[in-house]
Amino acid sequence: MKPKVAFFDFTCCEGCQLDALNMTGDQLASLLDAVDIVEFRETKTGTADHYDIAFVEGSISRDAEIPRLRGIRERAEVLVALGACACIGGVNCLKNAFEPEDALRRVYGDDAVHYDTIPARPIDAVVAVDHYLHGCPINGEEFRRTVADLLLGVTPRVPNYPVCVECKMAGNVCVFERGGSCVGPIIRGGCNAVCVTAGRHCWGCRGLVDDPNVNAQKEILERAGLDVEEVLEKFRIYLSCRKEAS
Amino acid sequence: MNERRTPRPSHALSADALAAMFARLAQSMRVVAPTERDGRFAYAPVDRFEEVRLDFDTTVLPPTVHLLPAKELLLRVRLGEAGSAEQVVDDLPTALFGVHPYDLRAIELLDEAFLGTRPDPHYAARRRNLLIVGIDCLHPSATSFAPSMGTQVATSGFDLLLTDIGEAHVATVGSDRGASTIDGLPGLRAATDAEIAEVGAQRDAATARFLVELDVPRERVARLLVDHYDDPYWEERSNTCLSCGSCVMVCPTCFCFDVADDVGLDLTSSSRVRRWDGCMLSDFARVAGGENFRATSAGRFRHRMLRKGKYLMERYGVVGCVGCGRCATACLSEIASPAEAWNAIAKIDRERREEQRAAAVDGSFVPQSVSLGRVVSLADKEKLFVLGLPGGRGIGHMPGQFVMLSVPGVGEAPISISSSPTREGTLDLAIRDVGNVTHAIHGLEVGAHVGIRGPFGNGFPIDALEWKDLVLVAGGIGLFPLRSLIQYVLDRRERFGEMTVLYGARTPADRLFVDELDQWAARDDLRLLQTVDHGAEGWDGPVGLITTLISPLEIEPAKTMAVVVGPPVMYRFVIAELKKKGLGDNQIILSLERHMKCGTGKCGHCQINGLTVCQDGPVFTLAQLRELPEAVQ
Repeated sequence: MKPKVAFFDFTCCEGCQLDALNMTGDQLASLLDAVDIVEFRETKTGTADHYDIAFVEGSISRDAEIPRLRGIRERAEVLVALGACACIGGVNCLKNAFEPEDALRRVYGDDAVHYDTIPARPIDAVVAVDHYLHGCPINGEEFRRTVADLLLGVTPRVPNYPVCVECKMAGNVCVFERGGSCVGPIIRGGCNAVCVTAGRHCWGCRGLVDDPNVNAQKEILERAGLDVEEVLEKFRIYLSCRKEAS
Repeated sequence: MNERRTPRPSHALSADALAAMFARLAQSMRVVAPTERDGRFAYAPVDRFEEVRLDFDTTVLPPTVHLLPAKELLLRVRLGEAGSAEQVVDDLPTALFGVHPYDLRAIELLDEAFLGTRPDPHYAARRRNLLIVGIDCLHPSATSFAPSMGTQVATSGFDLLLTDIGEAHVATVGSDRGASTIDGLPGLRAATDAEIAEVGAQRDAATARFLVELDVPRERVARLLVDHYDDPYWEERSNTCLSCGSCVMVCPTCFCFDVADDVGLDLTSSSRVRRWDGCMLSDFARVAGGENFRATSAGRFRHRMLRKGKYLMERYGVVGCVGCGRCATACLSEIASPAEAWNAIAKIDRERREEQRAAAVDGSFVPQSVSLGRVVSLADKEKLFVLGLPGGRGIGHMPGQFVMLSVPGVGEAPISISSSPTREGTLDLAIRDVGNVTHAIHGLEVGAHVGIRGPFGNGFPIDALEWKDLVLVAGGIGLFPLRSLIQYVLDRRERFGEMTVLYGARTPADRLFVDELDQWAARDDLRLLQTVDHGAEGWDGPVGLITTLISPLEIEPAKTMAVVVGPPVMYRFVIAELKKKGLGDNQIILSLERHMKCGTGKCGHCQINGLTVCQDGPVFTLAQLRELPEAVQ
């Protein structure tokens, strides 16, 4: 019997699931040869009571999501966090700087009474996570490699080097040399530095490396003549949950 | 007589000739050249000569990228029972059009590393198909220190080398391929003497434009780095290291890599891929069990600076850093330049030397005159000479050091000091009558004058012995230097753990310092065990070799240090017994005797491989000696 694979989403845009399937026809055929996709609301109906691999996208930001996630965890052999919201809380954590009631009212206005909200958090704040696929969105190549590794019983590699490594490999001129600011030196790589290569800077969507030298990062921002607080505010978009949420 | 091989500037190319040369190359191969990118320069495949910027200062990534790409496929692997591995090589003919001399030197290093032993077929295929057109660096980047590394001018490593002299480019031909690259080009002619002289003038002028330089000759760097391996500098300077790896990613002499398998979703096809990796990344030395063998950024920072300044040169015979300055430009924390680190270490070294010079005895051969205050016969051929020092002041020695004893008209001999510096105002030399100098002093009476120079040598490593249990093993006159240490420990007893002294003499009559041995035996904070090789009437102690005292000892190997001093023949057997007790090579300390004429590390007599016994010794750990084939007996 083929391994059963399922995809789930919580508070998110579901873009990582789209990117997971954004592959060539041959690759998709290989994937469907190798596994049974038993639950995936973007592609099919139906549910299952057991998953060999569950991919979970999204952060947890409502009470009702907690028991649902726990249920998935109970039914899953291997649970993989899919994308920035699931791995590090993602952009949803920006909300945590506000009072929950204020945030609800700001978004939903008078309809806020129909909704509840709790501070957003990554899924490993609620259940144990076996593997992480970082990024906003995830890197398709990394997704395919992770699936292959899991099917072969190999522990998937999670990059623990900063974005600078792949940025240098790409031959980019450093964002700081171009007069901008960037958090690449303390952010987990694996994205091939796509944002810098495209002319922008690293936003930090893959979260911090395991042992970031945050003080040194602040120093280089100062040396570049930048207002540290202002820059950190800009990069709060992905980094406001950090690990303290877990 | 050897033919002169260094290629000389020979041809002049007009602008048209240069363009024609580019076109000729582009017809038959991919041409990679420096181009402008975001205000800096980068190597890129180029179709049109107009895009080439031969006036570049330096490039973001070095040209070595085209020999060792950031990511390259090594093997195509089929999984399954009939698995297979197919080697993949890239042999696309390529011209690197515009390579600075420092990068030429880096390619020479890579050639040594990848082709020297066990040639790498992937590198070899690219290298074989690579044509290199060098260009003199006339517009150095602000962080480069190529002249200090001797890489500002190239005499090899290119097929063709160009120098921009304004109205033309002068070419130096480095190979037959280089010659045929320009052969017959329209606008090519022989360079005039004035043009050839201008090549030298342009290089000299460019050399003066480099802003960074080493404060020490590069040949001295390796030694400085070893001497200051434990300096706090490494920790302090790496405080702001981001461990981002930028310095090693942009380095032309960095070539470390990772190899990993990428399996396709069909689960049958796999790629074994090589990617750049680097020792500045935190997980570089981590193994599967979780242990990280270079876990701190200070350790990684130091390792990189030693690899660049010492290890690569020693391994491959080519400078490990070519002074391109790319790392210094790339490092956001501004700590990556080897020139800065080496200069800092050189400064620390200069300051330390100045202190030492101010404090230390000079290398003069003039001895200090001292009188014999007391002479005590110890045994048949051994006497103790207690020296009267002027003003009763000591000579500032430590246990295990020695002096050069001088008897006018006879000569000098190295003699270990037998008393502890904690016994102020006395300097004991216990001496066996074996040679001219020692025979002469044996003939002197109290009040006679002799000379001493010193103290010399390193002495016993007190820091490593403190707070440890000590096993001190003396054979024969090995007790002479060891007595100094035993006295020292007794005078600072609270700073040491248990002390066991093992003493072996040939016969009871050969035992030295008999009164002191009796005093030690009576103490309860020192355990003295004695043996003699041959018994005699009146001796009721053990008879047997000193090794027989070791086997019954009960020691805690983790907190024990052993110090062994005796005749060479004794060492091998005592070491074997101590190893049986579980002591490591760093826990066994020995003192060596060698022929010496100066005591200041110059005369050469006491050298063991690269070390001198008078300066680096006479005290060594067994671990140190294992690295010295000449010392192993």
